[in-house]
Amino acid sequence: MDVEHVQSLLREKVTAEVRLFQEGIGRFRVLTPFCFDDGDSLAIVLLKRGEMWRLSDEGHTMMHLTYWLDEGNLRRGTRSTLIENALSAFSVSQSDGVLFIDADESQLGDALFSFVQALLKITDVTYLSQERVRSTFLDDFRSFLSARVLEGRRTFDWHDPKRDPERKYVVDCRINGMAKPIFVFALSNDDKVRDATIGILQFEKWGLPFHSLAIYENQEDVNRKVVARFSDVCEKQFSSLSAGERIERYLAESMDVA
Amino acid sequence: MAILLTDVQIAALLQEPKRLKAGFRKSLRPRTKQGHTEADLHVTGDGGSTFYLRIRQSTTNPLDFSVILSHELPNTNRTVNLRRYNGKSHEHANKLEGTRFYDFHVHTATQRYQAEGKHEEGYAEPTDRYATSDEALECMLRECGFVEEETTAPAGGQIRLIL
Repeated sequence: MDVEHVQSLLREKVTAEVRLFQEGIGRFRVLTPFCFDDGDSLAIVLLKRGEMWRLSDEGHTMMHLTYWLDEGNLRRGTRSTLIENALSAFSVSQSDGVLFIDADESQLGDALFSFVQALLKITDVTYLSQERVRSTFLDDFRSFLSARVLEGRRTFDWHDPKRDPERKYVVDCRINGMAKPIFVFALSNDDKVRDATIGILQFEKWGLPFHSLAIYENQEDVNRKVVARFSDVCEKQFSSLSAGERIERYLAESMDVA
Repeated sequence: MAILLTDVQIAALLQEPKRLKAGFRKSLRPRTKQGHTEADLHVTGDGGSTFYLRIRQSTTNPLDFSVILSHELPNTNRTVNLRRYNGKSHEHANKLEGTRFYDFHVHTATQRYQAEGKHEEGYAEPTDRYATSDEALECMLRECGFVEEETTAPAGGQIRLIL
């Protein structure tokens, strides 16, 4: 096999795949074979800036991701970290959602490779979006308590109307009729556990008398540190509604004390 | 590969009447995000299906936009973009057909792309039916079963089919 020949064929093919369309003075559309999963190519523009060149996506990459993802989710959490890492790894800059890389003429080819790699890496964040069946946990939680606590003794989504008219600190279910009411929290994810932690601390600060009880959708799915902090402030926890009999017994005993 | 929606279901969803209140365009006021603007509108179809009308527009390039009709699959958090009316800011390649073009184009969700393990909206066709995002919106309203209430609806709640 003639290596020179194969190399020449490859080089020809690769070169032909990168094309430029002039779209104005010092402005060129760069067409490459690299694309998003939906078949749309990466949007790349080459701009002449004095002696330098700039490759820019003109904000298209981030916008393209919002066809499937909430834009806010690109600015926080794991997706944000992935994006920051990709930009850093390939020396790509970002300004208000516009991704770009500057280079002089001699480095233009390398800059294009880096830019393409960064954009492709960023598109990987769509793989973090997995279909989830909407949880019925909150419905199940309410049904469970409705069946075991008399209507006059329970209030779902309770808040302190005097100290908290804006409903910043909400209890999923308040059970009354005892010396101290029971504040029951339904915990479906990390955020809910954090909110419940803050809520309990606030209720303590206000000097409210209460017992706290938490039921997780699935405790194993919640971050361990988040659970640890919550455990320091909550009196009683159940790892899921599957502990139904135990929860029922605990409720019965607690309400009997009245 | 799992088929999220068959072609028959996609066609039925596109045809399902989607009623828009008179002056709904005011609800599509664009919000500035990272390098682009976004506008979203929730619409419930006559058959009870959940749809979202979304508009994305680059703040740098007026030809870089997408007017999208999304459908939320029942009992999931998953949405499928049934149609996407894109501007002219990038090439599109139809991976199964092996075709490629640089033009305004309309993506359509298809069963065959899903069956081949490709992105459900991976198929697109070039178009000259619009050249701006406003025109793309009107195009989508005409082609995807939208029905707009008359501004001054007479007794009986007369509505106007968008044709």
